[in-house]
Amino acid sequence: MTALVDPVAVAGRTAPSRVVFGPHETNLGEGRALGPRHVAYYAARAAGGAGVLVTETASVHPSDWPYERAPLAAACGDGWRAVAEACRPHGTLVLAGLGHAGGQGSSAHSQAALWAPSRVADAVSRELPMEMGRDEVDALVTGFGAAAGLAAACGLDGVEVDAGPFALLRQFHSGLTNRRADAYGEDRLLVTRTVLGAVRDALGPDRVLALRLCCDELAPWAGVTPEQAAGHVAALVGAVDLLTVVRGGPFSTSAYRPDAHSPAGVNRDLCAAMRQAAAGAVPVVLQGGVVDPAMAQAALDGGVADLVEMTRAQIAEPALVGLVRAGRPAEVRPCLRCNQACQVRDDRNPLVTCVGEPRSGHETEDPDPVPPGGPAAAGPGAPRALVVGAGPAGLECARVLAARGHRVRVVERGTATGGALRAASVGPGRDGLAALADWLEAECRRLGVAVETDRAATPADLDAAQADGVAVVLATGGRPAPLGVPSDGSSPVVDAVDALAGDPADLPEGPVAVLDPVGGPVGVGVAEWLAAHGRSVALVTPDQVAGTLLARTGDLADANGRLQRAGVRRELRAVVRAVGNGAVHVEDVWTGEPRAVDAAVVVACGHRLPDEALYLARPGTLRAGDCVAPRGIEAAVLEGRRRALEICGVLPAARVPAGAGAVR
Amino acid sequence: MSAAGTYRHLFTPLRLGPVTVANRIVFSAHLTNYAHAGRPTPQHAAYYAARAAGGAGLIVTEEHSTHPTDWPYEKLIHGFHRDVVDGYRRITDAVHAHGVPVFAQINHNGGQGSGLYSRLPVWAPSPVADPLFREVPKAVEAHELGEIVDGYATVAGHCVAGGFDGIELQCSHSSIVRGFLSPATNRRTDEYGGSLANRARLLLELVDAVRSTIGPGCALGVRLCGDELIEGGTTIDDAVAVARMVEATGQVDYLNTSIGVATATLYMIEASMQVPPGYAFYIPSALRQAVDLPVVGVGRFKDPLQADRALAEGVCDLVGVVRGQIADPDFARKARAGHATDIRTCLSCNQECVGRMGLNRWLGCIENPRAGKESAPVAAPRRRRRVVVVGGGPGGLQAAVTAASRGHSVVLFERQGRLGGQAHVAAAVPSRAEFFDVARNLITAARREGVELRVGVEATAAAVRAEGPDAVVVATGARPARPWWAGELARVVDVRDVLEGRVAPEGRVVVVDELGFHQATSTAELLADRGCAVEIVTSGMVVAQDLGVTLDMETWNVKAHARGIVQSTDLVPLGAAPGADGGVVLALQHHPTGTDQERACDWVVCAVHQEPEDDLFHALDGAPFEVHRVGDCLTPRRAHAAVVEGERVAVAL
Repeated sequence: MTALVDPVAVAGRTAPSRVVFGPHETNLGEGRALGPRHVAYYAARAAGGAGVLVTETASVHPSDWPYERAPLAAACGDGWRAVAEACRPHGTLVLAGLGHAGGQGSSAHSQAALWAPSRVADAVSRELPMEMGRDEVDALVTGFGAAAGLAAACGLDGVEVDAGPFALLRQFHSGLTNRRADAYGEDRLLVTRTVLGAVRDALGPDRVLALRLCCDELAPWAGVTPEQAAGHVAALVGAVDLLTVVRGGPFSTSAYRPDAHSPAGVNRDLCAAMRQAAAGAVPVVLQGGVVDPAMAQAALDGGVADLVEMTRAQIAEPALVGLVRAGRPAEVRPCLRCNQACQVRDDRNPLVTCVGEPRSGHETEDPDPVPPGGPAAAGPGAPRALVVGAGPAGLECARVLAARGHRVRVVERGTATGGALRAASVGPGRDGLAALADWLEAECRRLGVAVETDRAATPADLDAAQADGVAVVLATGGRPAPLGVPSDGSSPVVDAVDALAGDPADLPEGPVAVLDPVGGPVGVGVAEWLAAHGRSVALVTPDQVAGTLLARTGDLADANGRLQRAGVRRELRAVVRAVGNGAVHVEDVWTGEPRAVDAAVVVACGHRLPDEALYLARPGTLRAGDCVAPRGIEAAVLEGRRRALEICGVLPAARVPAGAGAVR
Repeated sequence: MSAAGTYRHLFTPLRLGPVTVANRIVFSAHLTNYAHAGRPTPQHAAYYAARAAGGAGLIVTEEHSTHPTDWPYEKLIHGFHRDVVDGYRRITDAVHAHGVPVFAQINHNGGQGSGLYSRLPVWAPSPVADPLFREVPKAVEAHELGEIVDGYATVAGHCVAGGFDGIELQCSHSSIVRGFLSPATNRRTDEYGGSLANRARLLLELVDAVRSTIGPGCALGVRLCGDELIEGGTTIDDAVAVARMVEATGQVDYLNTSIGVATATLYMIEASMQVPPGYAFYIPSALRQAVDLPVVGVGRFKDPLQADRALAEGVCDLVGVVRGQIADPDFARKARAGHATDIRTCLSCNQECVGRMGLNRWLGCIENPRAGKESAPVAAPRRRRRVVVVGGGPGGLQAAVTAASRGHSVVLFERQGRLGGQAHVAAAVPSRAEFFDVARNLITAARREGVELRVGVEATAAAVRAEGPDAVVVATGARPARPWWAGELARVVDVRDVLEGRVAPEGRVVVVDELGFHQATSTAELLADRGCAVEIVTSGMVVAQDLGVTLDMETWNVKAHARGIVQSTDLVPLGAAPGADGGVVLALQHHPTGTDQERACDWVVCAVHQEPEDDLFHALDGAPFEVHRVGDCLTPRRAHAAVVEGERVAVAL
């Protein structure tokens, strides 16, 4: 049997495992070069056991500048060299991602027309590209070759050519975007074959030439279908050493690395079919939401693939392969496929990171929360800590303190750990969120943390701990905010957290109005969950589109489609004025036009308030997460970790003057 | 009479405490996204210096953040780092070289931000989430208020060390001070909340701290919001009362003003051409009546005469001209010299200035291709060349103007009877008339630079060759393209057919929007005003989504509502068939559900991508001279692409 963690030969080189860290936007660069953040980020995954690592896709020609920090191959020499050197001790095969986004790029940075096979506007940007002429095609081929030559000269093991969902080469393959009447239209693979030839010439025979190939554009009326793609695979495998099977096209960019609303391992059937088409000529890589090592192993066992790309899983857990190899898969921090922090194709240029592992992307500045060499055992004289609240902030704080030798006790007033994270872990696409809470609790228990539920802390408990020399951290979470509009009481107003904790059938009969001034995953998730339980639901938002912030995770269009199909009415541009007479009374945000939304019950999904009761009783106590200001998972984990590292002296302690108090 | 005499007020000096400005034209603070790694860049210096060289009376730089908890957008200057001082010095030296004073605006954005970059909680008076950033802030504690005050003092000190002549406290549209002043965001019950005196306490502490840091030799200004235009927010009465408190400190030298909240009502802060000039006059006017301090008025000052009149009428003592000086750095100098008609007037289109800010891109200008690139050297022209430009739209005109200004001999052919190209189309709707300035300015410049204009003359390949050019710039534009689903129906037409007057639809009209910008909404507005019943359908999730970028979304929706224009989303046209009475039946698919719909109407108007007019370009293939193409004849896009390409090609000649 082939084990996921066993080495595999690729083009005469040996990858130390069959796990791939695929190319993805990171915004870690400096200008258009790879920077020190990139090097540390990739080195951590190599050290963790990645078999093959593909660096962030670099544009092979200056005509391509799809996002501000998109690497430009000509500027990547030093960065590639540094990445190769940092990864070499771990044996990971490092490939340079090379591509050109074509008509899916942006002229905002280059201030020049986009290149594309034909003058077809991109569905997302609506920007009309120019049709490439002979000169542009030649420049593209030359660019690929030059970039591959530079990568080889910098000591990389090879390159990966991008013909995936954001690639000009795919645009040539597809009837959606290639309407040419010339040779490049008659033979849609011609440009790709020419590029692969140029790249092979530049690399020489002993380096890896990998291809990321879109095998389903999910647009069967004119796009690349799996049936066509099988032909593409058969035609191209002879020119490459490694093939990664991906899906997605101009109308389905979110299908490439979808969030948890899509099933995990979504490309398994597609990959198996393409592996058959490849007929053993090259190893084939499965991509697409594989985050569980067991699923990856099963894909190898089932003949689906020869290697498995687990990019997000290794953003969440850099040491994934090492832990699996050591027989400790339960210690792998789970990827939630939430896309909340790792999906950074975003005008704001956020750095790639992870809600559960906020050090990802920050390797150059954040200390490793667990000391090198593994956790220290807490001896009899070990320092002690009390953490109040077992949500993600409290558990992460306890985990890190315990890993650094503290004897830690966590007290939680509720019946379960996980706090708001577990509360939110309800409904389709959302019910996997609790995996992070489960992992945090399991790690705490493994490290000897005493986790006590149904145990509320009092100010006296804090005083006693302090008197005893026990460090105290508050992670008491948030509480509902008042709705802030008049209500006659005719329709009860239920907080989203309370609603999710109960049974939809327990809510009063009749239509439900879900009030969502945030536009994030919660309001949409609550609406979907209620609709799935047969409730009549209206989602009320001040925005023009429901779930507007879901654009960041790639779920916006999909979420609106799901709401539509579930029969959820979207009350857009609606600012809530009152609840009364069995309805929510709203006004149009711009015109002031009033309307009423029937509601036997109202579920409030708005911003919450910090639960500061203990803090106000003992101002100046360390605190983390929502009890400082209710935000998301990432802020909670980061602050819980920081408080722990401050207590341990790894980070400087926050300056809180004596007698500091919360003044309101 | 000296030209400055045309303007009786604009070019008179004024004292702002220790600083005297030579005229009343202020380049007020505004974001540029020119910072790198939290530091000012050489581009900042070049950008401000260009406006100083152009005659501005006073430059106020963009904001400098006073604390690490404040990082709402990526390219913010972190004034609290000591090493900003070198960059400050570079700015102040560059501006002072032109004899113009330069102030620094310092600020903490408070709750109008997120922890995305700082990885810290945002600070605000109360845990009230901002409507744009939607992050619950941490209510600042007493010791943190002290940190805020210390941060302002630190940054003020850096500014003095960096050579600034004054400090402006932004307390107006995106600021923690605004957050405290406004009842909408301040729900505190301590001595910083409740009464106006309490809400203004932080502001007054900051004035004290900053003044004691900068001493008497440096000017100090306070920028106040006169009307937040949000529920429960600061109103003009509150603003007047705060202005009085500020004046009573005796430590402040001038007041600046603004309207709106940056994260809620930005469309009134940086109003597009949809909002009449002078819309914010009531704010400086009210403040000026209440205090003796000089007051700066802002809000779409487009030309010097309008500015002079505002001064004459006592609206304000100085005028903030931001976009006007982005578009033309020489705004003041040209006015003073009596060449006001040479000013490249701002359109208030917001496409490349405001529109790029929200997208984290560097500040530019639709008609000033040098905006944002002031620090990049321009190569001197080589030898004088004979240049033929074909096409008198923005791309061709820009190429001609730039080439002529660099000493080339330029002839421009335009086959239509008038110059301006599609700028005429964009400006055909009364509410968008100002857009034509993009062409009018270029036409004026072309005449000034001596471009030989051959209007109404078709440039065939033979005609071009007959000119014996060294280089040809083809800027022949685009023509409407019939969508595949439209068939041959006469009543399925393009927006250009309507806006250029070739057809006059009546009755029920469906406008199909595949462009997501002004084309569909302008046409819908025009037809609704003519009495048509209009529906816009789009495959997108929002009609005219990009109006959000240019801050036209709010005004558009108010207008659409008033005119009964229906907006329908997620609809893809599948076909068009003849309908009753010569009308059209439009087949549509609702793509999220795959369900089909129909619209029986009298006309269908398409806002869809055009196709290039590139016959001439191809006809010149193999010509014995350079042939370039710019703008829509390369591939149809927006006006800025044409302008940028026209400039780029002309510079490279």
